[in-house]
Amino acid sequence: MNPVAATLVIAGSVLTLLAGVGILRLSTTYSRFHAAGKASPVAFFVIAGGVGIELGFAAAAQLAVAVAALALTLPVGVHLLFRASHRSNDRTGGLHVDDLVPAERLAARASVSGEAVSERAAPDLEQPET
Amino acid sequence: MIAGIAITLLALGGACGIVRLLLGPTLADRVIALDVVLVAAMGAIAVFAASGGSTANLAILSVIAIVAFTVTVVTSRHIETRSEAAPATGIGRRPVDDDPSREIRGGGKP
Repeated sequence: MNPVAATLVIAGSVLTLLAGVGILRLSTTYSRFHAAGKASPVAFFVIAGGVGIELGFAAAAQLAVAVAALALTLPVGVHLLFRASHRSNDRTGGLHVDDLVPAERLAARASVSGEAVSERAAPDLEQPET
Repeated sequence: MIAGIAITLLALGGACGIVRLLLGPTLADRVIALDVVLVAAMGAIAVFAASGGSTANLAILSVIAIVAFTVTVVTSRHIETRSEAAPATGIGRRPVDDDPSREIRGGGKP
């Protein structure tokens, strides 16, 4: 195997192993999301680069389609999981500051009263609701 | 040689993901572990194609990526709505009472 391709393939495999160890060993759900959602797509990009160098142009085109599909979909999916597990009542811990709950309250109030969220309403983010 | 080392590392990463898939305390943990396992499988397919020199299996990769995205989207939708869907059975937990955004976003809740 081409040494450049071999280096890229091994590096991507090590990144996949890091993603697996991170998702196994980290303590809270959100930190596991970080390990999985950042390391694993980058690992596949590096592997696809190495395999594309090894196999030539036609294989690289197919790999580019796969890389584009993964790059478009996986961050969106991880973001949806973040939001869903925040909105569901699974308080899995580890959040010292939670900015999403007051922001969603503000958005819900604006959607009830039919107003757009304006800059004037932004100081409500800082005040806890009674 | 190189391909063997790479596939071993990818299998170890996928095995860690499978352990989290079996352990995972929440459903979201299981889904993200399944994503990691599928990405490891995609890497293994690519490395196997590079070692064999055939490009026949590379079309599977984009299919796996899109199917994994569909699984993630459907399951996150389920995680978001199951508390309102089954309040009496005790399977899903009730939403927080003093949070108006959850009631509005519940969809169909009176």
